[in-house]
Amino acid sequence: MPNTTLRFENLRRRFGRLSVLEGVSGEVAPGQALLVTGPNGSGKSTLLRCLAGLLSPEKGTIEYREDEKVLETEERRRRVGYVAPDLALYSELTVAENLEFFARIRRTGPERGFEVLDRLGLPTDRMAGALSSGMRQRLRWAWALLHRPQVLLLDEPFQNLDAGGEQGTRALLLEHLDRGGLAVVANPSNLEIDRVAGHLDLGR
Amino acid sequence: MLQVTSTSAAETALPLRFTWLSEVVAVFVKDWRCEFRTRYALNTLALFAFTTMVVVSISLGPIGIDRARGTKVLPVLLWVILLFSVAAGLPRAFVQEEESQTATALRLSATPSALFCGKLLYCLTLVGALELLVTPVFVTLMNLEVVSPALLAGTLAAGGYGLAVGSTLVAAIIAQARTKGTLFSVLAFPVLLPLLLLVVELTFNAVAGGGGGVALSQLLLYDASVTVAGLMLFPVVWNP
Amino acid sequence: MKTISAWLLWLWVSLVIVGAFYYAPLAEGFQGGSSRILFFHVPMAWASFAGFIAAAVWSVRYLMTRDLRHDRSAYVAVQLGLVFGVLATITGAIWARIEWGAYWNWDPRQTSILISLLFYGAYLALRGAVEDPEKRARLSAAYAILGLVVTPFLYWIMPRLTFSLHPEPVVNAEGKPKMQSEILQVLMASGIGFTALFFWLHNLQTRIQALAERKSAAREQGYGS
Repeated sequence: MPNTTLRFENLRRRFGRLSVLEGVSGEVAPGQALLVTGPNGSGKSTLLRCLAGLLSPEKGTIEYREDEKVLETEERRRRVGYVAPDLALYSELTVAENLEFFARIRRTGPERGFEVLDRLGLPTDRMAGALSSGMRQRLRWAWALLHRPQVLLLDEPFQNLDAGGEQGTRALLLEHLDRGGLAVVANPSNLEIDRVAGHLDLGR
Repeated sequence: MLQVTSTSAAETALPLRFTWLSEVVAVFVKDWRCEFRTRYALNTLALFAFTTMVVVSISLGPIGIDRARGTKVLPVLLWVILLFSVAAGLPRAFVQEEESQTATALRLSATPSALFCGKLLYCLTLVGALELLVTPVFVTLMNLEVVSPALLAGTLAAGGYGLAVGSTLVAAIIAQARTKGTLFSVLAFPVLLPLLLLVVELTFNAVAGGGGGVALSQLLLYDASVTVAGLMLFPVVWNP
Repeated sequence: MKTISAWLLWLWVSLVIVGAFYYAPLAEGFQGGSSRILFFHVPMAWASFAGFIAAAVWSVRYLMTRDLRHDRSAYVAVQLGLVFGVLATITGAIWARIEWGAYWNWDPRQTSILISLLFYGAYLALRGAVEDPEKRARLSAAYAILGLVVTPFLYWIMPRLTFSLHPEPVVNAEGKPKMQSEILQVLMASGIGFTALFFWLHNLQTRIQALAERKSAAREQGYGS
């Protein structure tokens, strides 16, 4: 995997009158995970959305670098995998159809997605709309890893997962870090890993 | 703007097996697959179009409208029906993505130009289906004699394209706003007005006899302009 | 400097008004003194269209720089374009009533102004429906540019339609081949005056808008009342 690094500085983001992110900075090297903690409403999800490119910060910079070269938006998109509670896939399509569609969109094959689903134990012929919350979370993981990203942005990644699911996804995260990928994890909930780039506490 | 992107293997870890075009087709297929399973857009379009046609037909009276007046008024009515049906059923192409929160996944995975073209293709086929449904019924119901069916077909094709491309872009814009229902009509109608004037004139010529003339080339130019504007503006609208 | 230019503008416009009523003769073929509307109605229409184009230009600048000040300028340009457009429509309708007996005739120019008013209204409606400033700027910039792409078609199509759909040709004053030089002079002067007025108001309004934004931002942080 190429050496992708992430650095963000002085991020500021407001919603109307509410200042959600103020002067937030951080840096993550390959093979490391940045753990983001803080109470509800402290801006963890907002930070991850900014890092994913779903939201633009009013001030500050976000830089993904690969071998010293700063990545453009298109390249960023190809390298980032994102898991979040509000991420939904098409409920009128089956799990398999969803993965195949998004694989096509990312111009790759769906094999990796099916592989992850297999490991996490999710059948592929069910309608995505008919999944339980735990199964939906597994599908999110499969979707995030579909294109073999170098960066994982995880917002409450173990939400709704039972013990087996949590174990499986944790293992996937560790493998990702082992391969030299980096991760930013919000609400890590007892995530004990030694490859920690740092703790970012957004609480005040 | 329309380019097939391919990246050398050294640039990225994942294999780019497919092209821009296959992405467009994937979006198109996905939209139709979802549509067939819910039938929402087709039902809305068909229901709206037929209801409006019935209202128009009944309002004109049981005997219908005499030929002289009919030639002037009926082309307008046909396009009003098409326009309003499109406004009722088309915005869903983008609004649905935002409302069901699948837009996030799309934003993170799709190439904007491919997404726009895929959605455009989907909207085109919806408009085409609408026209195929509405026009024969309308012509029959109103006893409309068409002197030049070829011109009518051409107008429906080029005009339908214009409706689709303008509506797709405006739908993308309003999908991210509140009060999406009325906002679409408010934003789309000024944009579609030149189109409407041109297609009414051409339809009138098709019915009464008369060539396409300069109006046809203006219509094609309009279609081209809005397409280019759409391709350039969509990434701005779609990405933060 | 600002005060001097404000006074200069006042002087210019006053001269235009005086010139409109005392210097320029009455145009032939118009009822009584109604031709004097020309000096106000036409420049207001120009100013309205200038607003449209200015909004599009600022929208492009915003998209290229993502500087919200350009977005603010575009927004104010549309607001002013709407105001001037409404005034132009009203003065035009009054004139039409005097000359042609009806307030509205679907004359090409009347219709064009009306359609641009629809665009302004749509732009403002869009802005009202988006809360986030960055998203609002992005979406309204895109719409303004789309509007600019589409409106030239109206100007190409309009002249043809009055012949095919409306039997009686409607004569418009600007189409007069010969205009007495005094009339032309005052008209040009008025055009310059109204354009200057537009930009002066634009400058004023953008500053007011900026201050209003700073005030509400300060209020959030707990300063002042």
